Amino acid sequence: MTQSSKTRNNVTVTGKGKQPVLFAPGFGFDKKVWATVSKSFEDEFQVILFDYVGFGNSDLKAYDEKKYSNISGYVEDLLAICSELNLENIIFIGHSVGSMIGMLASIQQPDIFSKLIMIGPSPSLLNEAPDYHGGFEKEELETLLLMMKKNYVQWTTAIAQTIMNDSNHAELEKGIEDQFRSNNPSITHEFAKVCFFTDYRERLQDVKVPTFMIHSAKDLFVPREVINYMKENIPNCTLSYSTGIGHCPHISHPEEIISLIKNYLHGQSESVIKNTGGCL
Amino acid sequence: METIINRIPGGLLTLSKEFEILSLNQRLLQLLRYDGKQLIGQSIRTILPKSSQAFFQFVFYPLLIQKNSVDELSLELMSQKGEEIPVLVYASKESAGTITCIIVPNTKRNQYENELLEAKDVAENRLIERNKVNAELKTVLKNLEEKQEEILKFNQQNFEYKMATQKELQLAKKIQETTLTKEINNPQLQIKSFYRASNELSGDIYGFYQINEHQFGIILLDVMGHGISSALITMSLETLFQRLISKGVSANIVMKELDYQLHNIVESDNDLYHYCTAIYIFIDTKKQTIEYINAGHPPAIYLDKNGRQKELKTLVPPIGLFKGIDFHSSTFSYTKGARLLLYTDGVSEPLEENRLSSLLRDSTSLSLEHLKEKLSKALRDEGNNCYKNDDQCFILIDLK
Repeated sequence: MTQSSKTRNNVTVTGKGKQPVLFAPGFGFDKKVWATVSKSFEDEFQVILFDYVGFGNSDLKAYDEKKYSNISGYVEDLLAICSELNLENIIFIGHSVGSMIGMLASIQQPDIFSKLIMIGPSPSLLNEAPDYHGGFEKEELETLLLMMKKNYVQWTTAIAQTIMNDSNHAELEKGIEDQFRSNNPSITHEFAKVCFFTDYRERLQDVKVPTFMIHSAKDLFVPREVINYMKENIPNCTLSYSTGIGHCPHISHPEEIISLIKNYLHGQSESVIKNTGGCL
Repeated sequence: METIINRIPGGLLTLSKEFEILSLNQRLLQLLRYDGKQLIGQSIRTILPKSSQAFFQFVFYPLLIQKNSVDELSLELMSQKGEEIPVLVYASKESAGTITCIIVPNTKRNQYENELLEAKDVAENRLIERNKVNAELKTVLKNLEEKQEEILKFNQQNFEYKMATQKELQLAKKIQETTLTKEINNPQLQIKSFYRASNELSGDIYGFYQINEHQFGIILLDVMGHGISSALITMSLETLFQRLISKGVSANIVMKELDYQLHNIVESDNDLYHYCTAIYIFIDTKKQTIEYINAGHPPAIYLDKNGRQKELKTLVPPIGLFKGIDFHSSTFSYTKGARLLLYTDGVSEPLEENRLSSLLRDSTSLSLEHLKEKLSKALRDEGNNCYKNDDQCFILIDLK
């Protein structure tokens, strides 16, 4: 039985343009996280947003423990969306692990992607002494996982509110919250493990699509060493810095992210954007 | 107010929009083991362990952006001495962008919570294991059911096959029995026979023929083994001896031809190796002579009306065993009123030694029919069971 990717991954297609821009959220976020950024692309492009299975308004019933215990399950879904919508010449914009999912998809089918744009990407969060400084020791990531577990309820409340931003249906919102609370802690936890403990370093050299990376200087998840490592290992790669705050500049500094991406797309990637520091 | 803030049983912290520490109350300073204004102007990272820093970026900050406030977040602070202090954080963003946080130490609850989470993990792992075992069991059960079904199917096929075979064998038995010659009763002599196969088919075969007015040929053969192959050989031999004896071919030629036939069958394939014991008796009622050849067969018993007994013992090896043997016959004269008993080892072996001759001797007054009944009764009731799974056949002749 094949399920429509559109329902499974809650896919939406908007925009007046022809060339598709496909946005992939990072871990723990759903497609609403792109609301501000994606809107600015609608005049010029076809804008495609989606949720990972287990997040947002995806079909929770489609969650398959085995399939999603590995990053390949998410890559498979992304490619299924592209194939179902017959997407070509895709500009892919991903945040964090979303950018890695896009990268793996582009390695599998380089012909359908025209550009990869990565916000806060990391090929591996774990330090590997002596040569690789991913940013975290194993124990630190495990503590982080535990902390996310403990704060699950607060966090899902926020997600539920994001989803329901457009409506006033408090009852429905409560329903979604309940759904999240009853179904999702384990899904979220599994995805977190996939995000935190997968090592993509070997795959960087296989990227065939021109790549543009945006790095916030004080991104705790992407130390400077990591972004430099990626720059060195991805064959056709441009790097730009955001003044952004930590790991989520598309949330904190959407305008800046929009202009960085548009400058790159319009061939002005050389223009230097001054790194003003940010915080944390 | 200032003093109240300093004395409340919880931490108070204000941050700039760049997450620099603007102020903190006395209680928080005590918790973090810092003095005075050491922390003012520092990044909040100073009082967060690495994992909390990550959590701050990953969760706290996006939440604050989306909701302008954060409730009840559970994370850890780090004291100047590097101790990790579990706390609950409530934060709200002011219009100017500054952030106010209330911090509640959470040590005991945190410990409790950790234990709960641990217990939950254990329970979940057990559930996963149980599900795995269940799934494995289900597979095993399914395989078993499939195997069982297969076996039932095979059994059914086997049963059908067995029934078909049984039917065929019954048919073959009928065919074998119809080839047996009919009993003879005329003024010169009377012949009666008994024939019982151990299975459906017998390795014994006999025939008796009136060659002309006063000459009779009687033959009894026992092919090694019993069952289908032995029975087929008897059929092949029967076709031959029936033709030869009816034509009046001499005894030694009858035996030689049978020997030749058996060698022919056996030579084509070693698996077919069979030999056969045989006794042929040629009776001339005019001359009152009996000519016989016994090839490896149990001795026939001759009993005259005076009670004199004679055994027609074997003088040559069984047929089909050695090539090119000459089968010499012996001849003797008989007296009227004598009796002859021919039998296969299936008849003699279950009974006590000399039982047959004593039965014969004690029954001279009995008619041939009654003698046959007596003998078959003895075979049924007496003797050693372990010998009874052989084919049984005997022939009784009254020389009138």
